[in-house]
Amino acid sequence: MSIKKGKKFPYGIHVKDMKDLCRDKPIEQVPASDLVYISMSLHIGAPSVPIVNVGDKVKKGQLIAKENGPVSANVYSSVNGEVVSIEDINNGLGLRQKYVIIKNDKTDGELLFDQMTEFSPSALVERIRLAGIVGLGGAGFPTAVKLTPKNPLEFLIINGAECEPYLNCDFRLMIERTDDIYKGIKYTAKALGINKIVIGIEANKPEAIKAFEKYDDIDVVILKKQYPMGSEKHLIYCTTGRKVPTGKMPFDVGCCVHNVKTMIACYEAIELNKPFTEVYMTVSGKGVNNQKNIKTLIGTPYQDILDFCGGLNGLAVKFVAGGPMMGKALLNLNHYTRKTASGLLALTAEETNATQPSNCINCAVCAKNCPMRLMPMYIESYALSGNFEMAEKYGAMNCIECGSCAFNCPAKRSLVQSISFAKAKIKEMKQNGR
Amino acid sequence: MADRLLKFSSSPHVKSPKTTRQIMIHVCIALMPAVIMGIVLFGGMAALILSLSLVSAVASEFVYLLICKKSFRQIAREFDFTSCVTGLLVGMSIGVNYPWYAPIFGSVFAIIVVKMIFGGTGKNLVNPAVTGRIFIFMSFQAMVGAWVIPNINSITGGQINSGATILGGLLDAKNPTFPTLSNWDLLLGTGLAGCIGETCKLALILGGIYLAVLGIINIGYPVIYVAVTGLFTVALNGFNFGYFLPAILSGGLMLGAIFMATDYTTTPNTTLGNIIYFVMLGLITAGLRQATHMEVVSFAILFMNLFVPLIDKFVLPNPFGYKKIKKAKGAK
Repeated sequence: MSIKKGKKFPYGIHVKDMKDLCRDKPIEQVPASDLVYISMSLHIGAPSVPIVNVGDKVKKGQLIAKENGPVSANVYSSVNGEVVSIEDINNGLGLRQKYVIIKNDKTDGELLFDQMTEFSPSALVERIRLAGIVGLGGAGFPTAVKLTPKNPLEFLIINGAECEPYLNCDFRLMIERTDDIYKGIKYTAKALGINKIVIGIEANKPEAIKAFEKYDDIDVVILKKQYPMGSEKHLIYCTTGRKVPTGKMPFDVGCCVHNVKTMIACYEAIELNKPFTEVYMTVSGKGVNNQKNIKTLIGTPYQDILDFCGGLNGLAVKFVAGGPMMGKALLNLNHYTRKTASGLLALTAEETNATQPSNCINCAVCAKNCPMRLMPMYIESYALSGNFEMAEKYGAMNCIECGSCAFNCPAKRSLVQSISFAKAKIKEMKQNGR
Repeated sequence: MADRLLKFSSSPHVKSPKTTRQIMIHVCIALMPAVIMGIVLFGGMAALILSLSLVSAVASEFVYLLICKKSFRQIAREFDFTSCVTGLLVGMSIGVNYPWYAPIFGSVFAIIVVKMIFGGTGKNLVNPAVTGRIFIFMSFQAMVGAWVIPNINSITGGQINSGATILGGLLDAKNPTFPTLSNWDLLLGTGLAGCIGETCKLALILGGIYLAVLGIINIGYPVIYVAVTGLFTVALNGFNFGYFLPAILSGGLMLGAIFMATDYTTTPNTTLGNIIYFVMLGLITAGLRQATHMEVVSFAILFMNLFVPLIDKFVLPNPFGYKKIKKAKGAK
C-alpha cells in the first residue's frame, strides 16, 4: 500500500466541476419500466445479433443477442417479459439502430450463470466476455478484448479520476461499494497476470482516496484536479510517468486502464454470476428537479429516469447523455439507457453558455489548453476548407476530443466538431486508399 | 414532450463565459488610464482626437458591414469592440497638433483597408492600429513638425521640445545631448513632448498589469520585448547602462509592447514562437532606433507581423507522446 501524488500533465484546463449538485446523494435504484428498449449497438465494434423472436418470453439475464465477431459483446435482457418488437429506431443521438423492445411483466426471478469452479485467467476472461461487459469509461470497448493483450503487461491502472464535471456515480461507487470494486480489481489483475495495481483518484474525492487506503496491494495515486485527467493516455502518464506514443495503445507501454464501474460489473459477473444488465448514472444539471445518482437497467427510457428524478423544471435547454465535456447531446428524449451510460444532464441556458461562433481571433488559447499539444485552430481551418491531408499533418488523428480547446475558445468555435469531422474524413480516405 | 426537438450540438456542452467581446472590453478598460492621462496632459484637443478616432473606427466598421448587406441588428449583435480598441490606439499614437481629420483618416484606413477587406476580426495580416499610426505618420508628419509639450511641467524643470523623442538626442552619435528630464518624468510623462497615449508610461504599465492579471496577455512577452530593446540599446552604446531606462521609457515602446505587439491575431501561436517574435522585435526596435534616431516601434511591429505566418509554420509543438516515437525509431 502506498499513497503518492500523481504527476501533472502539461496544459489541460480547469473546469468548474459542479459535482456538489448530487455529491452526497447515495445511489438509488430506478424501478423497472414497462417497456425496455435494448439497442444492439451498445459498444464499439460490430452490432450484436438478436437471437430472440417477437413473441418470445424472456427472463431477466437471458441472452437476447450474441456477439458478432471478436470486437463485440453479448446483450442480456434486463427484465422478465415478452419481446414485443425488434425494429430499427431513431434514437436520441440521431442514429438509426436496431432495438429489441421487451414488455416488462413485473415478475420476479432472474437467470444467473453457473458458479465458477476454477478461477484461471482464461476462465475469468471467458466469463467477462460471456457477461457482455464493455469498458464503462465511455468508449464501450469490450473488456474481454482488453484483457487478452498481445504482450505481457506491467500495470493495471484503475480509472477513478472522474474528471467530467457533474458526474458523481464513480465517486459514489468508490465509497459505497469499495469492497466490490476491490474484488473486481483482484479478478481483473488475476486475468491479466499483473500484480502492480494502481488506482488514480482525483484530489477532489478525499473520501474515495480514504476508502482505498486500507488495501495493501493497491497503490493509490492522488491526481491533481485537472481536465482531462480521466483520459487514458494522461492517466497513464500521471500515475506511472509513461507516455503512450502517438498512434499506439496503452498496452504498448505495458499498461491496461479500466474504469471502476467496469470493475463492479466484473465482480458481479464472476462472483455473483450476474450478466451485465445494470448501469450506474448521475442525473444532474440545473434543469432537473432532484439531482440523483441512480442504478438503472439497460434499456430504460430516459423519460422514465427523469420522472424518477422529480421531472424537469422547464429551464433545461439541452440534454446530454454522458458528461458535459465529452457526452453526446440528445436530439430528443427518445433515448434509452446504454451500457456505457454515465450521466444524463439537463442543462440550463446559463450552464451551457451557448453562443454563435465568431471569427477565430488567433489567440492560441486552444493550443495552450490542448492536453495532446496539438494546434486545434489549424486543424479546424483545414477541416473547414476541406484540406484533410493538412489536417492530418497537424495531428488531427491524435485528438482525444476532450473539448478543452472549445471550452475556452473566446470566439466559441465548434473546434471539436470540425476536428472529429476531419478525423472521420481522414479515416474514410485511408480506407479508400488501401 | 418526448418527440420535441432539443438543442443539438457537438461536445463540449459547457463553455467558459469568456468571449471575444469581453476580452476587447477589458482591453478598452486597460487603455483607460493612459487615455485619461493623455487628456490630463494634453487637454481638450486630446479628448477631441481620441473621440474622433474612436467614433470613426466604429462607424467605418458599421458602414463596411452595411455595404456587405448585413442588417444593422446583426452587426450590433456581433459587434466585438475590436474596432474600439483600434480606434483608441490610433488616437493615442498621434500628437495633439495633428489636424483634426488626421485621426479620422487613420482610423478609417486601419479598419477598412487593414482589417475589414481581409475578412474582419482575426483575419488581418498586420495590426490595424499600428498600420493606422504609420499611415498618419507618413501623411501628416511633415505638416506637423515637432511634438507638443504637455500642460504639466516636468518635476525637474527641464523640457524637451525639439525632435521626435528624447531618444533622438540621446542616440545621436556625434553630439549626444543628454536630456534635462529625469527618468521619473519619462515614467509619468510630465514635461515630455509626445503622443497622447504614449507619454505616461505608468498608466500604460498599469493597463498591462490589469490585462495580465485577467490572463488576457502574458506579461512575460512585453517584458521580453522591453528588456531586449533596453539591453540591445545598452550593448550598441558600449555597455553604458545609463541608456537602459531612457531607452525603455521613451517613445512608443510601452504602448507598442503592451497593447500593439501583443495583439492576438498578429502574434505567433506557440510559446517558443512568441519568444522568437518578441526578441526579434526588441532587436529590430533597438537597432533601427540607433540607425535612424527616430521612433520606430510601429515599424518594427509592422515588420515582425509579416513574419508571424512564417514563424507559425516552422515552430510547432510536439504532440503528447511524440518524442518517444523518435527515440524508439532511433533505438531500432
